[in-house]
Amino acid sequence: MEEHKTAQSFTVPIGPQHPALKEPSHFRITVDGEIVKDAYVRLGYAHRGIEKATESRTWTQNLYMLERICGICSHIHGMTYCLAVERLAQVQVSARAQAIRVLFAELERIHSHMLWFGVTAHEAGFDTLFMYSWRDRETVMDILEELSGNRVNYSANILGGVKFDVDESRVESILDGINFLEERTHYYLEVVSTDALFLQRTHEIGTMNRREAEVLGTVGPTARASGVNRDIRIEAPYAAYDQFPIQITLDDSGDLKARVLVRLRELFESYRVIRQILKNLPSGDLTVRMPRRIQQGETVLRVEAPRGELFYFIRSNGSDTPDRIKVRTPTICNMMSVIKLAVGHQLADVPMILAGIDPCFSCNDRMVMINQSNKTSHRWRWEELRQHGINYYQQRTA
Amino acid sequence: MESTIISNELRNLFSLVVFPGGCFLILLGLSYEWVDRKLLARFQNRIGPRWFQPFADIMKLLSKEEVIPDGVDRRLFIGLPIVALTGALTAGLYLPILGVKTTFSFPGDLIVTLYMLSLLTLCMGLAGANTLDRFSLIGASRTLTQLFSYESPFLLALLGPALFSNSWQISEIIAYTDGRWLMLTQPIGFLVAMIALMGKLELPPFDAPEAETEIVAGALTEYSGRGLALFRLGKGVELVIGLTLVSTLYLGGIANPLTFFLKTLALLLIIVVLQALLTRLRIDQTVGLWWRYGSLLVLLQWLILILLQGSAT
Amino acid sequence: MRFAAMIGDITSALIHRPVTEQYPFERRETPERLRGILHWDPEKCIGCGLCAKDCPAGAIELIVLDKKAKRFVLRYHSDRCTFCAQCVFSCRQDCLSMSNVDWELAVTERSGLICHYGEKKDVEEVLAGNLTHDSV
Repeated sequence: MEEHKTAQSFTVPIGPQHPALKEPSHFRITVDGEIVKDAYVRLGYAHRGIEKATESRTWTQNLYMLERICGICSHIHGMTYCLAVERLAQVQVSARAQAIRVLFAELERIHSHMLWFGVTAHEAGFDTLFMYSWRDRETVMDILEELSGNRVNYSANILGGVKFDVDESRVESILDGINFLEERTHYYLEVVSTDALFLQRTHEIGTMNRREAEVLGTVGPTARASGVNRDIRIEAPYAAYDQFPIQITLDDSGDLKARVLVRLRELFESYRVIRQILKNLPSGDLTVRMPRRIQQGETVLRVEAPRGELFYFIRSNGSDTPDRIKVRTPTICNMMSVIKLAVGHQLADVPMILAGIDPCFSCNDRMVMINQSNKTSHRWRWEELRQHGINYYQQRTA
Repeated sequence: MESTIISNELRNLFSLVVFPGGCFLILLGLSYEWVDRKLLARFQNRIGPRWFQPFADIMKLLSKEEVIPDGVDRRLFIGLPIVALTGALTAGLYLPILGVKTTFSFPGDLIVTLYMLSLLTLCMGLAGANTLDRFSLIGASRTLTQLFSYESPFLLALLGPALFSNSWQISEIIAYTDGRWLMLTQPIGFLVAMIALMGKLELPPFDAPEAETEIVAGALTEYSGRGLALFRLGKGVELVIGLTLVSTLYLGGIANPLTFFLKTLALLLIIVVLQALLTRLRIDQTVGLWWRYGSLLVLLQWLILILLQGSAT
Repeated sequence: MRFAAMIGDITSALIHRPVTEQYPFERRETPERLRGILHWDPEKCIGCGLCAKDCPAGAIELIVLDKKAKRFVLRYHSDRCTFCAQCVFSCRQDCLSMSNVDWELAVTERSGLICHYGEKKDVEEVLAGNLTHDSV
């Protein structure tokens, strides 16, 4: 491997293969000693062509395709798709099904935040906290397995409702699990706020004030940790969130410690909402009949995924396959903040800053073609895309 | 006369190569590495490796191909692990491993032991600087930076007992302290020695040179096969020697195998608890810690020692 | 500001057993709703083929030997199946169910992964390569 030296600095590649990354992506960090001078990101290693593939599958089959965009936010992708298609077909889903969807969504949020917490502790070098928080994550995975049959990728949604019911016999075990998790979350909150060495790694690192957070376009807990008052569950409630409302969790400091605290405190809101849902589950059918062909139209829908704002655009042309589905995931909004914040910090802080936005790289690979010479937009067929890829790589290695 | 000289030489050779130096020290190093990993796993509420895991690791590494990257100096690449392991093993010659009184001691062997331990760290730093991989270069610079920061408090903390016994020879220090526990009379020195030992062994919280989530494996990133096996053996031996050194000087010498195991394992337990509790420090925080608190504490200890000695005479 | 915030957990870890379940030797009881391999009851099937149409992975093929006499054979590709249970919900006659005890499906050869469900003589006819029937 050649070294790249320009004056006193050289570039360190983080990724695509690196123990700090759970999924492939490439960060080119230019360092001078230990201080980062410049950062550059290249994404696209996990692109699978899902948006294009949805155009040749039926509405029912697409639900499972879109659920597999991401492993840890699979339910919310499925739920958004179902809500959007039900809106297009003008079908009213029962209140019980919506409440169960919200229950699964909040359980998934707990799952995602616990996983993220362990990963952040591991990036900081605090392996004990990593092991203990992942041990506690097993509790929420057991709850989800009891409810739906699978620990990840629950497939609880179906067009028109949900597949699985929450009956009285399971409520007890869910509440036991939630009580245990709440006690442990209090403990972790205390560890994170008082442990002197962990604070040294997170306090006043990656500080982003409110104005910067808004300009860079950050969403989700990353933005809320800088004081941006944005939560889609409160601004534009969907599913059953108007019956079971959420209180916002904000923090003003904007540094890495604030992001950890915001995510841990959001867990308490999730516990509260889950208990409320289990106590006041509305009655009704689980599913409603959906037509096979969805009428023509287009719709957009925004939801609050564990990482931020998830955005779907669906267009139908009246047949049994969709015309266009466009997904914009939250990680791509937060990625630019990593690039901007990394400059000026030490190399050891870069994985921590990256972990602070809760990156989910398999969500965020999209292909955008911007044609600036003329203002018309161009549609590519599958074969054209493939040929373009082949030509691109042949030219690179030639 | 001839036969006693030959049998003397044979006995020296045996104690150098087989017991208690050489092979036995290597096996002991691997066992201590296992205890470290197992205890750490138990503290983290998981099971941990079985007893033969470190041996299996070394066997596996020795049976794999050694890949030599482009652009390195081949002789340095292959020779540095050998020198590192040799340094670590040589350091063990002057210590009472397993309670067996050493046959090789000479005046000043405390300094030689300490420098042999530093030789191991220097070899790892050089090995990292030799490879042109970016991660190795950063790892090498961190290893050497950390070496410069904890080395002087470590040396001064271990020389406290030497000052007390007016000798630089380990066996004489043992004879002078005569079973008394210097940990009780020089607590600050003991504390600094323990923490600095963690720095020397590059255990968390001082494992910035081999931070897995930042620079893959630090200085040893490009090593594989035999070179990596030798470095790991060196680290295991370093663990045993460091523990023996601190327990010999501060915990009143080692008279028999039972006290050897009890004392070194007690120290290992303390080290593992600290490993499990603390986060990794960044390299600048490590250096700041050592140059601010470490050095001040050990200089305070020396001041106390000198004043006490001055008032005693 | 404390130095050892996790000391409580660490000391209690010495008293309790490790949480690891040593899998092949200790097996936990599976939950009732676990989605294992698919099972098909041919008695109730009417041959609508919705299960095959709705499957996102193309894992189900319904081979129609005689629609009036309700002779069907279900070819199930368990290597393509994503265990989503959409087919279970699409079927209005409750013919399909996912087992909660057969979930250890790893094999060393691919041939065992394609299952044929149906009456014995029907399956034998299909396996013999009689291709004059339709499939969905």
